[in-house]
Amino acid sequence: MNKSLKTGRLTFAPGLALGALLLALPTAATAEVSDADFNALKETVQRLSEQVQSLTQTNQLVRQQHEKDVQQLKDLQTKLAETQQTAADAEQAQAQPIPKVPMDEATVNHNFQILGDAEVQYVNSDHQNGSFALADFAPVFLYRGGENILFEAGFDATLANNAPNSPGYNTTFNLSFAQLDYVMNDYMTLCAGELLLPLGTYAERNAGWLNKFPDDPLAVDALLPESGVGAELRGAVPFGDSGKFLNYSAFVVNGPGSADGTGNAGSLDLGGNVGIRSDGAVANLHNAPAGGGRLGVFLPFSPRYDLELGISGEVSEWDNAGSHLWAAGVLDAALHLGPNFEAKWQYMLTRYGSDDLGLIRQQGWYAQVSYKLAGLNLELPGVNNLELVGRYDNLSNAYDSANGVFSGTRRYSVGAIYYLTSALLLEADYEFINSNDSAQPSTQLILQISYGF
Amino acid sequence: MTAFKSFPARGRTIIGALFIGGLAACLCAAEPQAGASAPTHSVAASASATNAVPPAVKAQLTGAELYSIHCNRCHPERYPTERTAAQWKTIMLHMQVRANLPVKQSRLILQYLQENSGR
Repeated sequence: MNKSLKTGRLTFAPGLALGALLLALPTAATAEVSDADFNALKETVQRLSEQVQSLTQTNQLVRQQHEKDVQQLKDLQTKLAETQQTAADAEQAQAQPIPKVPMDEATVNHNFQILGDAEVQYVNSDHQNGSFALADFAPVFLYRGGENILFEAGFDATLANNAPNSPGYNTTFNLSFAQLDYVMNDYMTLCAGELLLPLGTYAERNAGWLNKFPDDPLAVDALLPESGVGAELRGAVPFGDSGKFLNYSAFVVNGPGSADGTGNAGSLDLGGNVGIRSDGAVANLHNAPAGGGRLGVFLPFSPRYDLELGISGEVSEWDNAGSHLWAAGVLDAALHLGPNFEAKWQYMLTRYGSDDLGLIRQQGWYAQVSYKLAGLNLELPGVNNLELVGRYDNLSNAYDSANGVFSGTRRYSVGAIYYLTSALLLEADYEFINSNDSAQPSTQLILQISYGF
Repeated sequence: MTAFKSFPARGRTIIGALFIGGLAACLCAAEPQAGASAPTHSVAASASATNAVPPAVKAQLTGAELYSIHCNRCHPERYPTERTAAQWKTIMLHMQVRANLPVKQSRLILQYLQENSGR
């Protein structure tokens, strides 16, 4: 705007000068005007005229520019109004409820899962015909009911031939465990239900595809209960940030029972006493719970180089009269030296009193080693999928209730595992058995295909 | 042989209850907050820390390292991509209880599995 006014003044000034000159002319007309003066005046007038014309053009350009500026200003005002409207609309939309969108799956508050394993086994013992001994399907159902609650149950459906001189086959369907887990805090979890008992580590880590042998160690099967009905507190306390920790388990369960209610040695039933009698009454057969626990330490030296040690035990009455105790003590160890070598050891000792045979002491242990040939870095087909395994186990002074005698057994097992995938295994195991139990074969070949899912 | 006589049943029950109760009290006092969910270190943060210090004085194992330490103790490792993030959450809760792992280590393993999961 100021520029326009300034231009106007410039246009007006030469006009004023020209007017003043014309006013002066009448007085000058009376005087003599030389040609030189006239020409000079003429040039001046022409120059002023040209200046006026130039300024007029400049003024027109300035006016045009001004009109453009005004138009641009109007456009900007229009755009500002539109932007303000858009912002107002967005603010209004934000105030309205957010429409529901699918949740990220990782944040869902519950989840149902099925894990488990399946095995098919072929057994050929000396002096017997080889046969497919069993087909086993063992699903584990998991239901997570929040951040800290888990229900888990494992079943075991097994198909096996009937006893000699019996027709057909039988199918068993057992509840291996069924427990509710509540993670109370970082150091304590409450478990309740039918619990896998932490007597050593074998009971909790012996699913078919986890075990490197197709059968269980003798003493584990003969001396220790695998599960019990009750409640347990367990947890782990790390020390340092290098992965070391202590873990503990303390449980109270119904404990073993008597198969016939007596206190005779052959009546001990490690898997019995679930609280409901055959007559329908709910009762602990000997009216006292069993107590036990495990204390373990895990010491990693570096990833995949570690040592785990544990001590565990359980004490319980077992006969209905409550006059005899059954007690078990277990030591366990596991060593990993790199991703390919593993060694495990477990010692088991039990004592129980009886009416007919007094105190019965039984014990046994097993040690096993395994090595994955992938550690040799051989460029041979199939070798990298192979793992060699060896085991020694024994059972001393085991009471055979069927025959009323004590027996001892030593067993040497060698075998191999071929990993078709990380979860599909072919296992072959050859066993040399030395026993005074006539029911035991002296050698045995077991082949198994295992799948973990 | 002599019979293996027991303590009075009631006495054992009381001793057992006192043991469990005392243990619970000690542990609750040590860690009053229940079910804290956020891990103290992320896997990425731990990985960067790993690069900053020599292995001999490493401050914190990563989720991947804990995964290789613990899972391989019982079974061949499974690929993180075999399960979704939500499935790993359930499975890790199961493994935490079954293998009796420290909760903080279990969280780091879960974080590693979820970050590399199939979805």
